[in-house]
Amino acid sequence: SSYEHKLNFKKSKEACLSYIQDAMLQKQWKRAAEFLTFYVESLEKDYSREHVGPSEMIWRIGTEILCHHSHSSVKEFNCFMEQMKTLGVKRYLKASILNAVCLEHVFHLLCNGQIDEAYQNLSLAESWRFGEQTAIQNKEMKLIQAYRGLLDYYSWSKQKNILLEHGLDGFADLSVEQEMHSCFRKAAVNLKEIIKIPGVWDLFVKCYVDLLEFYGDHNEARQVLNEYAYNSKFPANPNAHVYLYQFLKRQGESKKSLISALKILHDIVPSHELMIDFNTMLRKSKKRKRRRLGLEVIFAVLDYAGWKENVKAWSCLARQVKQVVISEKHLGWIKKEWSSRKDWWPAFHFSRYLAKRNWQENESLSYEKALVAGILLGKDCKYFKYVSHQGCKAQVKRFRMLKKFVNRHNPVYLRISG
Amino acid sequence: MEFPAALFPSYFGAGPPREEDGSAPAAGWGEHGQVLEGRPGPHQAQPAFVPRRGGMGETWDPAEAAAVPVLPPSAGCWIPSPAPQDILYRNRLCRELRAGKDGATLDFAKQLGHFFVDHPEDAFGSMGRLLHKNFHLGNSKLKRPARSSTIRMTALREDIDRLEARRGCHRQHLASRLRWFSHLSRDWLFEVPLGLLADCLHEELMLQWSDLLFDDSLTGGALAWLPSGDVGSRTGCLVHPGGLAMNHLFFQDVVLEKLPRAQGSPAQFELSGHIRQVAAARVDGEDFVGVRSDYHCGVWRVPARTGTAPTPLQVIHTDVPASCLTVSPHLPGELAVCTKNGTIYLWSVETGLQQLRHDPQTMFFRDHSPWRWSDFTTHPRVLSYADRTGLQCLDARAPKKCHFDLFKVGEEAGCQKGERVVLPMYLGRAHPSQYLVTTQFSVYVLDERLPLVPMLKWAHMMKAPPLFAHLMPGDSRRSHKVVLGASRTQELLLMQYWGGRQSACQLAGTPQKLHTISGCLEHLPTQLPHHHHLLQQRLGAPAAGLAAVLQEDGTCNSMLVFQLSEAGDVFCQRLTHEAARPPAPTLRDEATTAPGSSPLFEAPASTLRYRRWLRALSRDCREPSQHTWPPSLSQRRLFTRKDLEGSTGPSALQRQVRQLLRQVMQEGGRIQHWEPMALQPLALPQPPEPTGGQDPLSTRLTAAWSGDCEQWWEDRTSFSMAQRQRALRERRRRQKRARGRRSLSASFTSSVTYQSELSELSDAGPALFSPGRPLPPSQEGSSPARSPPARSPPASPAPGEALLSSQSLRHRGIPKERRKTLRDYLSVWAEGPPDPPDLPVSQASQLCIPSSQRQLSSA
Repeated sequence: SSYEHKLNFKKSKEACLSYIQDAMLQKQWKRAAEFLTFYVESLEKDYSREHVGPSEMIWRIGTEILCHHSHSSVKEFNCFMEQMKTLGVKRYLKASILNAVCLEHVFHLLCNGQIDEAYQNLSLAESWRFGEQTAIQNKEMKLIQAYRGLLDYYSWSKQKNILLEHGLDGFADLSVEQEMHSCFRKAAVNLKEIIKIPGVWDLFVKCYVDLLEFYGDHNEARQVLNEYAYNSKFPANPNAHVYLYQFLKRQGESKKSLISALKILHDIVPSHELMIDFNTMLRKSKKRKRRRLGLEVIFAVLDYAGWKENVKAWSCLARQVKQVVISEKHLGWIKKEWSSRKDWWPAFHFSRYLAKRNWQENESLSYEKALVAGILLGKDCKYFKYVSHQGCKAQVKRFRMLKKFVNRHNPVYLRISG
Repeated sequence: MEFPAALFPSYFGAGPPREEDGSAPAAGWGEHGQVLEGRPGPHQAQPAFVPRRGGMGETWDPAEAAAVPVLPPSAGCWIPSPAPQDILYRNRLCRELRAGKDGATLDFAKQLGHFFVDHPEDAFGSMGRLLHKNFHLGNSKLKRPARSSTIRMTALREDIDRLEARRGCHRQHLASRLRWFSHLSRDWLFEVPLGLLADCLHEELMLQWSDLLFDDSLTGGALAWLPSGDVGSRTGCLVHPGGLAMNHLFFQDVVLEKLPRAQGSPAQFELSGHIRQVAAARVDGEDFVGVRSDYHCGVWRVPARTGTAPTPLQVIHTDVPASCLTVSPHLPGELAVCTKNGTIYLWSVETGLQQLRHDPQTMFFRDHSPWRWSDFTTHPRVLSYADRTGLQCLDARAPKKCHFDLFKVGEEAGCQKGERVVLPMYLGRAHPSQYLVTTQFSVYVLDERLPLVPMLKWAHMMKAPPLFAHLMPGDSRRSHKVVLGASRTQELLLMQYWGGRQSACQLAGTPQKLHTISGCLEHLPTQLPHHHHLLQQRLGAPAAGLAAVLQEDGTCNSMLVFQLSEAGDVFCQRLTHEAARPPAPTLRDEATTAPGSSPLFEAPASTLRYRRWLRALSRDCREPSQHTWPPSLSQRRLFTRKDLEGSTGPSALQRQVRQLLRQVMQEGGRIQHWEPMALQPLALPQPPEPTGGQDPLSTRLTAAWSGDCEQWWEDRTSFSMAQRQRALRERRRRQKRARGRRSLSASFTSSVTYQSELSELSDAGPALFSPGRPLPPSQEGSSPARSPPARSPPASPAPGEALLSSQSLRHRGIPKERRKTLRDYLSVWAEGPPDPPDLPVSQASQLCIPSSQRQLSSA
């Protein structure tokens, strides 16, 4: 019966697909290609109306095979892509997929360094308008425009460099300048569009801000960066805050605004690498409150496993702790920070095993850590004992000083832990 | 810690997942994802772009054609877990399986019936004892005094038997007697109230069925590899469960050579439950191994030096089955435990359990699954907490106040409708803040510093959800490798990715399928069907865990992937990667052969390994059958009384057989060849044996046994001399005859011997088909029947050839046109065997055609 026939047809199609999948997962691209031709043939004989699904699959599988097949060329790849697009225009492919096909083609060209071809493809794709505009289709279209804007930005920046080089020679080409400006306009329009939509647009934001800064539109740039960093509809992207901080720094903004920008970054990502800069900035501050924040920041940084063996962070902490101990003024700060950590830092940072390993692998790390351990845990702490003993045995001067310092300030330990 | 200076572009939206239909079969292929400017160089004329997916990865080639067993099969025969056909209602099985998950009909009645039959004492014990005098099960009529207090149950039993035959028939009145009885006895007959029992059974069946659809108790996997503490050492310890109930924990030292080899006997612990998960982490040079069974979790400490015994540290007992146990990579003796009522505990060996959260509801939207998971994060006090809807991170110091969402099944991560979290895993060894989340459709790499937005997403296209994952961290030059494993289909997938520090995360190369345990079946030598079935079942057991080791050895790196099956088998495969080779797409697909065409393993070592394993397996699985009783068949079930009585007296054959039996029994002998003589229509020519059916050796031995060996020897020599003389005479006679017939060829003396040999063969034909004719040696040569020339068809049938005569053929009802064919056929048959020997009369009559046929042919 026809139903049975259809069922069998479907089964054999599925079997063929699973063979393709199997071959691809074993990187047998030639075999996969052979099976794919069978698969396509089977579709040609299929008069059912469900062409939409399989053509997407053919696009995906075909692209993957052509990317890895030993005999495939760029030309073949482009040809395949054009065919897929034609399929899309003929409505065998969903419209949203068509945009994806275009985008993927562009990505492929970009990764192979064919910037100009990519640009042409983007312009072409932008001009296609058919069918109802679904939300997904709209999104893909915005991305196509954004990437075109990005490429416009790159040609702008190229012309800018030419102009700057020649400008120094006192030679200014008017046509180059004009072209540069038109590039700027095209890029700015497209880039501005996409960064309004919630998302991760690091690349686009950076380029747009660069454009704005070049033309001196600092207010717009600041607004864009503020929006990117602080709009709650956007994800909590640390880079947004970093870009803002860098912009503020470039603008020579006051310490206060720099600190407030970093403070927010600290709240979001306490383990960010800028926290070392932040700590340094705060430690040097005259205000007590900021110095206290600095201590908080550096303690928080060292909570994270990724910073465990970072000498810079440990020396920051050691310096600040030493400062506090010598001044004997704000022991309460340390006490407060320590109270939430005293039950796990000893095992996490100051075990005997780590003392041994740090001493063997990184002497200065063990020095900084031993100082902190000695102050926080007293002179009988395993870490301090081991490292200072080894240091004195090796007759390194600073370890002898360290031992003396910790012994002298041992009562501090009692006050902190009490 | 560095954060990538720029991330790949992506949209970010909040809300429920998109309304997309399920997973597309090829969803993971052909995408670059997005591109990002690669190396930003100010002097570069053109920007260089890198794709999120589609970049180059390392190429890893499988070293063997299939996975190889590492350890001998665990003793005792594995009992496979129930299959769908055991639980589902038989008739609808196929339809229901196709229809979907919810519509399955469980064969509840069958299971209940099994319970009644298998445990009658538990089901009806006391009532049975009370009533057994009042129930009569025999066939005989009840006598008068007993009749008043006893009922006859035979009819009821027959009804039950008939019911089985009417399975699926809905005409209920056919079983009115049964309905009447069950109605009458439902309330008092059963030991356990039927409703209660049925509820429990139904619950259990539902549980079994949902386990069959997706068994999440195995999440995380029950196999762990503890590398040796010494750098460059080629040893390690494999921690795996074993035993018939998977309740033994083994710590097996393993030497990594080309094939990993077990060293010494393992340290073994017997636990009180089926081991579901084995998790391990190394802190301060010591390995901590957490073991989860349903109601117990335990932790062991294993010093890094090989050869030192593992020490059990602590065990906890939970009221509700635990669903997760992970070991902290930061602090020694710290673990995270989740139970199926939605509670998460931080378990420290020193300070005990600390409940962090209790919430029977799921986090982001409602999902019925009680599965919960927890793992550690980059901050030693912050734990992740997962259910099927997503992941949260919570601070153990203030779990109620401090938490944030790390992953949500929704638009945020671009999830599909129906997507659920299957396995979250902390990827701390690759990057301190990276996290892996697998769902049934995709795998995500997350960064805790930018929650909710996946750094990497890839549709893995696996047929079953990946329940196991193993990370092999890379460095700035090498990619991170993650092996994903599914349970039911045993799939293994190797994927690689880069980045997380300076550069954004990228998927490297294409994912690669690794060998499964069941894949080796096609490479094994052909087995006997039942062995093959056994092996198929054994090797096809669902996977229960995976582990992998990366070994760097100069230019050639190798990767060993271990896979554990539910039967307790540990298999291993080796992959090699040549660091020196340029990572260009090579012509490898020509070198690697298609599946099925590589019948043998390259290395003899693995073949040997396999042979040993198979031998051990077949030995183990045969043993129990020796101890069990031989199967006894109840005759009553085979034939009903009526069947046995109904026959109208024994047939002729039966009578004959009975007579034979009786005779043999009287003689105290045995029947060696059961020959229903009367029914054999056509005797096949048997190669005759001169000494009457016994070979010379047997006769000699028989003679020696009875003490007259000398007599035998004399008989033998005289007999054989006579035989030789006869043969010589016969041959000469034939030669003469041949010469006479072919006078033309008589001059070709050189070919005489050849011709005679030929004629010897052809002459033998008709003689064979006259076995009924007495052929005493003295009559040899004198019979006229023996001399028809073979090549001319007989004009008139000789009496000895009655079988071939058209008359006899007609008697047998063979149509005319067939007779010629049959005759030719028979004559061809006749040419086969050698010369008919001259037999004594008594033996010749036994030889071929029984007496009844002889009568027929002579008629």
